[in-house]
Amino acid sequence: MSQGRLTRRTLIRLTLAGASLPLSGHAFAQDDRPVIAVANYPLAYFAERLVGDLAEVLFPVPPGTDPSFWRPSIADISAMQAAQVIALNGAGFSDWTTKVSLPRARIIDTSAGFADAYIATETITHSHGEAGTHSHTGTASYTWLDFGLAARQADALAARLIRAMPQSEATISTNLLALNADLAALDAAAKALRAPLAAIASHPRYQYFGRAYGLQIAAMEWDAQEDVSEDQWQALEQKISESGATLFIWEATPSDDARARIATLGLTDVVFPPLALAPASGDFISEMTKSITMIAQSLDA
Amino acid sequence: MKIGLIAFVMIWWATVSVAHQLLVFAFVEDGTVIVETKFSTGKIPVSGDVRVLDAQNAVLMTLELQSDGTVQFPLDPALSAQGLLIEVATGEGHDNYWILTPDDIARATKETQ
Repeated sequence: MSQGRLTRRTLIRLTLAGASLPLSGHAFAQDDRPVIAVANYPLAYFAERLVGDLAEVLFPVPPGTDPSFWRPSIADISAMQAAQVIALNGAGFSDWTTKVSLPRARIIDTSAGFADAYIATETITHSHGEAGTHSHTGTASYTWLDFGLAARQADALAARLIRAMPQSEATISTNLLALNADLAALDAAAKALRAPLAAIASHPRYQYFGRAYGLQIAAMEWDAQEDVSEDQWQALEQKISESGATLFIWEATPSDDARARIATLGLTDVVFPPLALAPASGDFISEMTKSITMIAQSLDA
Repeated sequence: MKIGLIAFVMIWWATVSVAHQLLVFAFVEDGTVIVETKFSTGKIPVSGDVRVLDAQNAVLMTLELQSDGTVQFPLDPALSAQGLLIEVATGEGHDNYWILTPDDIARATKETQ
């Protein structure tokens, strides 16, 4: 077998997969509504805001699982293959999309329209939790943390939903205006932060937020749910001296001990869930508003 | 100088080993499941274990990757009715998978009829 065979065959097969519909045809919810499959919580929230009760939004990633590194089951992929629209984040967010066949005609890469604005990242391999070893490589993928880009993702999703559900164009268009107004309010609130500011995050999630709102955000490779080792504390101290950071951003609520130790280093800390997964309470807009408000309060303190 | 060279080689090796990824692709053709693998660098893995699992994650069979980075096995319609999960692990510590859903299998079967 030549080395080119995989590429050639893959292209042929994926093209065939994309060109043909699943034998079961389009998916409809049990009540005959179309199904919109999504790759992360922001897209689930946007889709729900856009279609309301007109369609079922399928976000199959279990609670507590990082959707970036989610390993789907065969049944999960079968359900996604049968969805009428498959909304992906793009920017390399969903690793699993390279391990399955999806019908290309029904996929919308919601960030493809601003691919030239992607942020390149370094390759770092590490492990934490039960997900095993993984790498942060290539492209920063939490695009929605720039709320201007999030609005463009909502625009792209809305356009694709209208193609799939033309009879609902008026409703989706009206809902898009309301959603974009909320995202614009988030964008304005974030732009009002007292930047420029140096900060350090517990995990490399906030590249787009930092670029959009004038924050220099260095990142550790910590899991907020796990104990921080002495080596990791030393690395943080080094990073503080290098960056002059005064703010520490946790992606999830850490232990009280960890927060107390952060305070001894002269940092103010906030918990700012990036919301790749659904929050335990509230929604995308309310929880983002809360995080931005906490950052603003910490800067004013 | 020698220590510096050794350190450089170790860093280079570590960088190379994390920078390439094992790619797995599987498809059905003429009643045979064909699994193909290669690294993202284009290099072909010369050995590795291939595990075939069903929808309940039960291992149906374990095969050895051939020296050309592929392996084939006959499609058993009864065992593959709910789809197949193909896992490949190479000796270098790289692993990855491909999912064949019932629709993938049915579509391929229909195409070759």
